[in-house]
Amino acid sequence: MKKRLWKTRAWKALGIVLMSITFLFLYTPIIVILTLSVNSSKRAYSFEQFTLQWYVDVFRDPSITGPIVNTISIAILSTIISTIVGTLFAIGIHSLQKKSRIRMMILNNVPVVNPDIVTGISLMIIFSLLSFTLGFTTVLFAHIFFSIPYVILNVMPRLKRLDPNMYEAALDLGCSRYEAMLKVILPNISTGIIAGGLMAFTMSIDDFVITYFTSGNEYMNVSTWLYAVLGRGQSFTPAAYAYNAMIFAITIAIILFINLKKEKKGKLA
Amino acid sequence: MSKKLIELNDISKSFGDLLVLDHFNLYINENEFVTLLGPSGCGKTTLLRLIGGFESPDEGSIIFDGNIINDLEPHERMINTCFQKYALFPHLNVFDNIAFGLKIKKLPKDEIVSRVTQTLKLVKLEGFEERSVSTLSGGQQQRVAIARAIVNRPKVLLLDEPLGALDLKLRQEMQYELKEMQRQLGITFIYVTHDQEEALTMSDTIVIMNEGKILQIGKPEDIYNEPGNQFVANFIGESNILDGIMKEDFLVEINGKPFQCVDQGFSANEQVEVVIRPEDFEFCDPDATHLVGVVDSLLFKGVHYEINVIVEGREYTIHTTKYRAIGDTVGLSVEPQNIHIMRKSKS
Amino acid sequence: MKRLTRMQIPYRVWMFLFIVIPTLILFVLALTNMNLYQIGAFDLTLDHFAIFSKNEIGIAFWNSFFYSSITTLICFLIGYPVAYYLSTLPNKTRKILVSLMIVPLWSNMLLRIVAWEKVFTADSYFTDLTGISLNLIGTQTAVVIGLVAMYLPFMIFPIFSVLEKMDRSLHEASKDLGATDFQTFVRVTFPLSSSGVISGVIMTMLPAMTSFVLPARLGLGTISLIGNVIESKFMKEVLGSSGMSINEGAVLSLFIMVLSVAAFMMITRVDKEGETLI
Repeated sequence: MKKRLWKTRAWKALGIVLMSITFLFLYTPIIVILTLSVNSSKRAYSFEQFTLQWYVDVFRDPSITGPIVNTISIAILSTIISTIVGTLFAIGIHSLQKKSRIRMMILNNVPVVNPDIVTGISLMIIFSLLSFTLGFTTVLFAHIFFSIPYVILNVMPRLKRLDPNMYEAALDLGCSRYEAMLKVILPNISTGIIAGGLMAFTMSIDDFVITYFTSGNEYMNVSTWLYAVLGRGQSFTPAAYAYNAMIFAITIAIILFINLKKEKKGKLA
Repeated sequence: MSKKLIELNDISKSFGDLLVLDHFNLYINENEFVTLLGPSGCGKTTLLRLIGGFESPDEGSIIFDGNIINDLEPHERMINTCFQKYALFPHLNVFDNIAFGLKIKKLPKDEIVSRVTQTLKLVKLEGFEERSVSTLSGGQQQRVAIARAIVNRPKVLLLDEPLGALDLKLRQEMQYELKEMQRQLGITFIYVTHDQEEALTMSDTIVIMNEGKILQIGKPEDIYNEPGNQFVANFIGESNILDGIMKEDFLVEINGKPFQCVDQGFSANEQVEVVIRPEDFEFCDPDATHLVGVVDSLLFKGVHYEINVIVEGREYTIHTTKYRAIGDTVGLSVEPQNIHIMRKSKS
Repeated sequence: MKRLTRMQIPYRVWMFLFIVIPTLILFVLALTNMNLYQIGAFDLTLDHFAIFSKNEIGIAFWNSFFYSSITTLICFLIGYPVAYYLSTLPNKTRKILVSLMIVPLWSNMLLRIVAWEKVFTADSYFTDLTGISLNLIGTQTAVVIGLVAMYLPFMIFPIFSVLEKMDRSLHEASKDLGATDFQTFVRVTFPLSSSGVISGVIMTMLPAMTSFVLPARLGLGTISLIGNVIESKFMKEVLGSSGMSINEGAVLSLFIMVLSVAAFMMITRVDKEGETLI
């Protein structure tokens, strides 16, 4: 018995050590970014003085406000569109026969598995071929393109968990097809839709590679702007760190909110 | 006296290459409790879905109250369905689940409340209005599903194996309640099941199906006592099915021995199948019968024993309250009215 | 219901436009001397495949293979035990830890790379902040640590999601049948989690193989992966500087695509509908 206990403890210790390493890897850059966002030194060879200057600059410095507005407007638009369209596609795919459903899901997952660079180049090629000018529209299309599969992947398991007769039950009780969708299917897959939308939003706000290949010379989001500045060997305003810290705070708030809401719901049930 | 409510004329339906219903004909009367009974894959659920409007037939017509309803949407039919796994809406509570159809029809609020309350009383779920459906037991969910359908006052209620997920005791209780409900409501129930006991207990009429065809239609007693062929005999209860030769009217030869029976209308020396229910055998003096054998095995089943007796190399299953030990030599007798003669199945 | 299935038809058109057609064009670009901006007559040629004989390409391929393999291996060795440990934790702790692992992914990738640059540069910002002086910038170690830190969560999540769903009674059944803890792991748990492992390996390896900003920044431009070559082949042309060939870029992209198709077939075998991908 003692030996067994010892063994369990050893495995647990290994788990804790590796978990700590994981968090060290994940949070080292975050901490560096957070400290840089309140560091008065622009060149950042050392930590000089605490300042909130950069947080003000996020809204004022024209070199960064442009890319931020671009990033957020693309993220919001592509999230809304890809969530709506992706949900409809998911319902359509779900109602297919098993064989064609699997075939569609395989196709759906191509952009998920494909490295961003290949997706980016493919999109760039098709846009050039259609003689679109690379810019806002092409970036928006690209973001919708890579977000839809994630929305579908999030919605699909919810649909599978639905009783297959749910939709028919609604029709049976007098709903038109449109009503049945609105009143029965959507409320029951809403968590999947929200999760899918959230994922689409994060993928979009964070994207570098695909935006890089589809945005041309003029249109920049935060990532491509940073890359361009770095590529010229210049340094960028620490407002970028402040912007990132704000995103970070919002993220934590969202996660806390979701968890608290879930807990509240759990207690009620 | 009773009037035809639903007629299915020459219905065929296939999914891909699979022919599920093959030129199917059936009519169902008003206020009838009809059970579609058959093994899984026999087409019974498809038939139900055709009546409910979730599928449309490839050929033939479905007539409801004198009108062809082939192309009507589900919500345009005065028919409601109680689904196999209930299909309750998880985002709505008990009251809202039941009120769903009424709200869609935009009935006045007080009427909705009174109808739902009344229906909850009928299914014995008073006080459950605010409960979330996911907190209900299987039996309670079943009742909500039924309530949700009947609150719309359909002319026909379709039930697709509604008791399949319940345990034995609850199932028997619900069988009784469903039958009672059907009587009270005075509406037609079309009930799909693969459980023969359930079918025998509840139905006015049983339709036995296999491979998309009707094998026999009749009252439960008739189907049990006079199965039309070997499949029905096997499907409805345990049976001893023996080869026989019809010597003349009222006389059949089994194992080369003559037995009195009550069937007639076969040609002389026609090969037939003979069905004898296990409970119809009696033990008797071995000298007074043609059937003499040795007890091979014995199981205690509660009300009765199930005894297998080997007679001239063939096993007979007997249900009896009398005990015989393994190895005993026994005689078996059977009354002429309990010997059922069937024409040979083609296969 | 037939009418619902109609809703996925536009998706077919959409995917045909954005997946099938670009792939065909990549083939055309790779096998001909077509110019993307002056589409007209073109001739079949295998000339572009000659880039495989170039030294820099050979090195880039080797680097891609080397760094992605090491990264994937380290991610697996850390990630599997972490995922396993996570799955044994009580529900609440588990949720908090998983959330904490997701949060950093929402920070900008380029800024995270810049932050690592600061960490790996000796006697600079990080030293001032912590007193630790690491002089790793420009080394293999820096690139590997950066890649591991970037892609580790993508190894952990798929494995965790499979382990989390696994029926605990399977462990008990295995032990009941006389297996030790170790045997249970080797014969039951691990084989059952293989779909998560395969997804994890692919979701780590392919992005690591094709990354181009991270190796360039943390390797100080001395370490070139296949992604860097593709980037220069395509972007330089698009952005107007000449001398590079988009057709050669297409050859390399197709090569990556072959790898991802192979990866894809592996995923499809264990997880037809891609449930382990998110």
